[in-house]
Amino acid sequence: MIMMNWTIIIVPVFLLMGNRKPVPADILKITVPEIVVSAGKKAVIKMKVEIMKGYHIQANKVKDGLLIPTTVKIDEDKNITTGRQEFPSAKKFKLEGTNDFLDVFDGVFEIRIPFKTIEKIPKGKYILNAKLHYQACDNKTCLFPKRIEFSILIKVV
Amino acid sequence: MKSILKGLLPILIICFSIVANAQEQQPMLGQTAPSFTLKAVDGKTYSLEQLRGKYVVIHFAATWCPFCNAEAPYLQELYKSYYDKGVEVFIVDVKEDKGMVEKTLARFNFSFPVLLDENGAVSAKYAPEGVQPDLARHEVPLASNLIIDKEGKIRFYSLLNTTAFDAKLTKLKEKLDSLLNSK
Repeated sequence: MIMMNWTIIIVPVFLLMGNRKPVPADILKITVPEIVVSAGKKAVIKMKVEIMKGYHIQANKVKDGLLIPTTVKIDEDKNITTGRQEFPSAKKFKLEGTNDFLDVFDGVFEIRIPFKTIEKIPKGKYILNAKLHYQACDNKTCLFPKRIEFSILIKVV
Repeated sequence: MKSILKGLLPILIICFSIVANAQEQQPMLGQTAPSFTLKAVDGKTYSLEQLRGKYVVIHFAATWCPFCNAEAPYLQELYKSYYDKGVEVFIVDVKEDKGMVEKTLARFNFSFPVLLDENGAVSAKYAPEGVQPDLARHEVPLASNLIIDKEGKIRFYSLLNTTAFDAKLTKLKEKLDSLLNSK
């Protein structure tokens, strides 16, 4: 009986809390570990992207040209040339009540960006400034498109 | 253990039905719709006050919003089916410039006006109090649909719910039919 009384209090409070989930300043987190590379050699930037549970973002390739695809733009550097970005496979998100699907990313995933340093690059640390542009939705809201700035640290040895 | 579970079952059913009802419950019903005067993509200015005496369907949208775009063809259909019954349809585009919105129009070929709420002030006025308190207020009504009656009162307000997404506007049309039939 005591247990039942607790349940009466706890269950509705828990469910109501679920309805009023706070939206953080950013639903997306990017982590890029430092990369160590020799002069004139190739390496890969591995961007870890974590999306808050319940949210998804549009994939890098969208079927509908009006949607905002996820893009990564890295500022140019005369010593470092970046190559073709590799995104994971998109997940299908069904638009309920229609036969249409959205291509989306959610959870944790990695974007890989190959790069090459020039032969004469001096040893030392290099910072590439980058931006990730995305548009997120959860089951109650579509957030306005957002751009996150982040840095990629490359150590040339 | 069995008896505890037996005892819990009705409580859980009640709790879930309360939550389900709360989710179904529409905000701002019966309230006077916030007034607005906005310029449309066609260059004309429209105000809600001028539309008294007509039923008005409003959809808040942005060109990049997947749910808004999924509804777009059905809004056009709704406009064609209900215009002769005294129903006006508007899209209020939130925080985008005219050029961007015109690009969308080219695809959907809307016959009804698309209003430009370029600073999001009108959308913010339609954000129900207490709903999504952590969002910027202009973001809250995005992808929602309203029916405003002849006296300017809100009679239907469906906020986005992707798990029960109603792209074909079935519930809105049901409400519109019942309002039109009850006059």
